[in-house]
Amino acid sequence: MNKIKIIKKGIITDNPVFVLLLGLCPVLGVTTSAYNGFGMGLATLFVLFMSNLVVSLIKNFIPNKVRIPSFIVVIASFVTIVQLTMEAFLPDLFDALGLFIPLIVVNCLVLGRSEAFASKNDTFSAVTDGLAMGIGFTLALTALGGLREILGSYSLFGYSFIEGDGMLVFVLAPGAFIGLGYLTAIFLKLIGER
Amino acid sequence: MAKRESTFANMVSTLLIVAGVAAFTLSMVYNVTKGPIERGRYERKQAAISFVVPEFDQLKSKNFLPPEGRDSLEFNLAYKNGELVGIAVQTYTNTGFSGYISAMVGFYPDGTIYDVVHLEHAETPGLGDKIEKDKSDWSDQFKDFDPSEKSLKLKQDQGDVDGITAATITARAYCDAINRAYVTLTENIDESHFKLEE
Amino acid sequence: MSLLTVSGSPHVHADESVRKIMYGVLISLVPAMLVSFYFFGLGAIIVTLTAVVSCVVFEFLIQKYLIKGPVTICDGSAIITGVLLAFNVPSNLPLWIVVVGSFVAIGMGKMTFGGLGKNPFNPALVGRVFMMISFPVQMTTWPKPIPLNTQLTDVVTGPTALAVVKDGVGRGEKVSELLPKVPEYMDLFIGNMGGSLGEISAIALILGGLYMLVRKIITWHIPVSYIGSVFIFTGILWWVNPDIYVDPVFHLITGGLMLGAIYMATDMVTSPMTPKGMLIFGIGCGVLTVVIRVFGAYPEGVSFAILIMNAFVPIIDRAFKPKRFGEEVKNG
Repeated sequence: MNKIKIIKKGIITDNPVFVLLLGLCPVLGVTTSAYNGFGMGLATLFVLFMSNLVVSLIKNFIPNKVRIPSFIVVIASFVTIVQLTMEAFLPDLFDALGLFIPLIVVNCLVLGRSEAFASKNDTFSAVTDGLAMGIGFTLALTALGGLREILGSYSLFGYSFIEGDGMLVFVLAPGAFIGLGYLTAIFLKLIGER
Repeated sequence: MAKRESTFANMVSTLLIVAGVAAFTLSMVYNVTKGPIERGRYERKQAAISFVVPEFDQLKSKNFLPPEGRDSLEFNLAYKNGELVGIAVQTYTNTGFSGYISAMVGFYPDGTIYDVVHLEHAETPGLGDKIEKDKSDWSDQFKDFDPSEKSLKLKQDQGDVDGITAATITARAYCDAINRAYVTLTENIDESHFKLEE
Repeated sequence: MSLLTVSGSPHVHADESVRKIMYGVLISLVPAMLVSFYFFGLGAIIVTLTAVVSCVVFEFLIQKYLIKGPVTICDGSAIITGVLLAFNVPSNLPLWIVVVGSFVAIGMGKMTFGGLGKNPFNPALVGRVFMMISFPVQMTTWPKPIPLNTQLTDVVTGPTALAVVKDGVGRGEKVSELLPKVPEYMDLFIGNMGGSLGEISAIALILGGLYMLVRKIITWHIPVSYIGSVFIFTGILWWVNPDIYVDPVFHLITGGLMLGAIYMATDMVTSPMTPKGMLIFGIGCGVLTVVIRVFGAYPEGVSFAILIMNAFVPIIDRAFKPKRFGEEVKNG
């Protein structure tokens, strides 16, 4: 498959958050700031990339009937690696994301890409797909986190530009839904879907 | 390589191998990260303790059960030149707006509070998180607070602590956590600190 | 507003239009407006004007430049949203927050869904809840009423009667000890109490409601079932334990209940179409209001209750469909 098409699909036309609406738990849960969204995006990107790589390598070795448990073990291993490494070397980010890191395992985006793409394509395509989907996910999470941080705490990536507390609703859960709704609408309008 | 058939032997062996490789890899990673993780946790606790008690050169820790509540509190007794200079109590409350809040409360040996710092909480950003030292100076009012003379309750509850605007529940819970540490301390302290240090 | 909700034919022509209904509602709001101007002075007038102007301006901008459809600001619905929004905030609220609230009410509450007649939630309440969650400090700093006050600054602030009782009961004080700390019932009824702009005067709101009833802008079902269920529910609680539950009359004349029951819940777009549905809607609002007031974290629950019930309206409407013209009523 054409690599450029795969990349375009992952980032724009099949954007995992705004078009496929996959993995909404971390999307809504951790995007209280751009930094958190970016960190979660990178963690997911790493897991996606590695699990797509491994799954595409072992796809012929795995019998069909046990493919889902095998994929989950692969994914869970990489998630645990991310979790341990982050706790050891980026404790601040780990504090903010803590609860949501183990949830990458059940992020349907990761299993979805393994099942729908990596297990049916060659390794290079699978890795490209993992990278593109991961970038699309990271961009979406950073955008939503940035929007919520700008409106909710008047700052971006921790740099405050107006004194004060901001519109708290955007830091809280309802703001995640509101922000996601409007960003999705704008995104679809921009890529000409609606 | 053709796809392997879903025979029983194939399935069992595949799962075994996949799980085995995963377990091996994880154990390697765990070994590498174990050190830094524990060091990080230890350093953070150490930083919290040295934040809430005067300078010390030796630390001894001990657990006491509070009169109310099931979990025991960890008392960190700080010594300088063999003399007790402060007690850092790791305390908690479950009455926060989002439940559990833990804090490190430091006392002078006479029961006056030296300083307080939060450890964990999930309070509302912008409101309840004013209990954090770097978000607001609200918790500075506990410095040199003598709970034997003043009451560890909010002013609107006929106590002596200023509340947090729009986060009364959080402020009340924080007072509850500090009070739990204080009550447990007074139960276990006497003139010679014998029971405390023994 | 329900004129744009297409229901089963035939559409009987009545001598009414969106415009006529809207201006009828506006007239009925006048007594409550006057009371709030009397007690909260210049601040109330400025907040109301700001809300109305910004609602109309945002509606105009969004309709003209974003939706690029017909501009319908003259039908008065944006003016009503503005007035009701202002009625739901304290009179000393910073004006920029009023503008943000108006933007949310019109933009998020109404235009996102396609404009008048298509919004599932009451726009003014969307704006209010947004402000309530976003700016809890400013939204719960209630000025005390000073008749004919012309000062803008330095108003004395204090908690609402509901907050006094809720806080006190939470601390374990008895209701009978707390009631002396709130204004007398007669004052509460007339509106001499701290609170949002337009919610203070039960009597003025009831007058407006009666006017709308006579003009047939609203029917009795929602206000009566809403207020009635609050009265009965709090009455039962009070009967069970008068020490921790305050009496039902207090619940009726404090907070935003009258404003909510008469103006917010009856919004034609966001309430059920049939009388039966309206009764269920009103009872749901009433029960939720009491649950939030008595057991919830907030002292007041009217706006949350109505928004939650708004979400149920399509289901209620499906359960109680309007009868088709000529349809035979099945026996049994």
